[in-house]
Amino acid sequence: MTAPPPAQSTSFVTGAWRVFGMSIGEMLWSRRTIFMALVVGSPVLVALVARIVQSAGIAPLRVNGVQVDAVSMFGAMIWILFLSFIVPVLGVFYGTSLIADEVDDKTITYLFTRPVRRGAVVVGKYMAYLLCTALVVLPSVMIVYFLMVPFGQIPASFISLVVDLGVLGLGLAAYGALFALVGAALRRPLIIGLVFVFGWELVTLLLPGYLKRLTLAYYLQPLVPHAMPTGDTVSLLQGALFREPPSVAMSLGCLALAIVASLVLAVRVAEKREYILEQ
Amino acid sequence: MTKRTRLFLAVASGILVVGLGSGLVAAYVGGFQNLTLIGGDGPAELAYVPADSRIVAYADIRDVMGSEVRRKLSAFDQGANDGASKFKEQTGIDLETDIDYVVASTSGMSEPEQGKPPLVLAKGRFDEVRIEGLIRDQGGVVEDYKGARLIVADERKLALVFLEPGLVAIGAADAVRQSIDTKAAGSSVKGNDEVMRLVRDIDDGDAWVVARFDALTGGRLPDAVASQLPPINWLSARGFINSGVEGQLRVETRDETSAKNLQDVVRGFMALGRLQTGQHPEIVEFLNSVQLSGDGKTVSLSFSLPPEMIDALGALRAQRPRPRTTPAAPKPDAAPAL
Repeated sequence: MTAPPPAQSTSFVTGAWRVFGMSIGEMLWSRRTIFMALVVGSPVLVALVARIVQSAGIAPLRVNGVQVDAVSMFGAMIWILFLSFIVPVLGVFYGTSLIADEVDDKTITYLFTRPVRRGAVVVGKYMAYLLCTALVVLPSVMIVYFLMVPFGQIPASFISLVVDLGVLGLGLAAYGALFALVGAALRRPLIIGLVFVFGWELVTLLLPGYLKRLTLAYYLQPLVPHAMPTGDTVSLLQGALFREPPSVAMSLGCLALAIVASLVLAVRVAEKREYILEQ
Repeated sequence: MTKRTRLFLAVASGILVVGLGSGLVAAYVGGFQNLTLIGGDGPAELAYVPADSRIVAYADIRDVMGSEVRRKLSAFDQGANDGASKFKEQTGIDLETDIDYVVASTSGMSEPEQGKPPLVLAKGRFDEVRIEGLIRDQGGVVEDYKGARLIVADERKLALVFLEPGLVAIGAADAVRQSIDTKAAGSSVKGNDEVMRLVRDIDDGDAWVVARFDALTGGRLPDAVASQLPPINWLSARGFINSGVEGQLRVETRDETSAKNLQDVVRGFMALGRLQTGQHPEIVEFLNSVQLSGDGKTVSLSFSLPPEMIDALGALRAQRPRPRTTPAAPKPDAAPAL
């Protein structure tokens, strides 16, 4: 008697759910968690220091001798730390590892021989990544906000915070999906991911023309409710000279398309590709 | 899922839920000042503003009156509150607490240059009986207009009607009547895409204005200035007022070339300003905060007046000698003998 094919033994959703439950714990308590804690903890530390300094009656940040208000400082942290660094970096490190780590650790055989579709493994791991990173990044943003913004300024800035949380969640989903595809399809996905985030995206956003439309940052940036900090030449070029931001609807549409397309392609690649384990 | 994983998920979710809940309560208590970020369409009172309005403006009076800037300016100019006190005495309206916000507009029929006031819609708490009594005492008449009690003090200059509980329309009588018609017909400025596109971009400010440039200047610009300006269609501005003032001015020109020309003109004025104000560090600081940018036919100018600069400006104002009212010399009873 031959065993039924995996696809028939467990439905796609059930399979993805089981992989999700198994992966969330693995992801949270892996070595990467230390890295993630450091990355996400640093803005909290900065905010704490700023708060202590402010409590002592000293302005934590001045630009051209002018004190920067708390909401603007929070906005700058969202731009500089979270959107430009933390979200893409977590997307690269976790997204590329969803399949690639199993290949490197030679454990992918155990996963793919389970009665679960390969595509469900990708989707389950992706959902685990999304929950894991979102539940680390978003509370960190929340803590930073309450540390930095005085109570009296909350009514004027709370909606911005909610939008920030949404944008960062969307960013994690988009970068994660893209790099899940890269991890499923290519060898050395981490290097490719880092080159994409810190090379391609940075350079093309500075150039005039249409190349910037092939980045995720181009669609994420218009959704941020804070003004882009223009402290250095790079941000000045990016923010003022060559900025042709898409509309909010177009940004949301393109990001949704990127997430769905990347995930579907990642599922297809995982189901078709033959993973050869190095001996 | 292990126990510690569940614990982590519960703690992280708890931080999110508690944070969002606390923020929501704080924002609710404070009045959700920036709800427009999630798809604002301007204040609801725009439903009374005619579609052909050429200037639409808004000011959150409560925010402005409660701001640190206003408190500082009041401290510098002690006599500034006299008018407000007299107004309160006459109408029972305390400008600091009774008015939440106002929306003002001028349409084709109430242009400022014709001496007619704009239509002002004020939201707040009003003593309707006292206000009506005051106007009637001064010779005003009350008429019924489509079921509304229109109080006319001067046909051309002042009429008012309480449109809804806590909402009063003030302006020339025909403008006030038109606001009633506008709401009834559903033909308000909310249907004017050109105006609303600009309103949606700026309606998160404490105060904002959208205007056709010609309506705003009314041909009052000096020829020397007007001849230097590229053709401008629309102008919008918004300000955020708290401990300092942050503002943004956006101008829509007829085409992209005009926008570039306008940017050059503004840069020229800024350079001139820097040359002329080198002796005044507070003004130089203000000029340094000015940022000029452009996108297609739009030119944007943003600026920031930090609290320190408000203090400096207030100090300058305080130093300025006040015009003294010298007592009139007693008239001589008889012509002096020569």
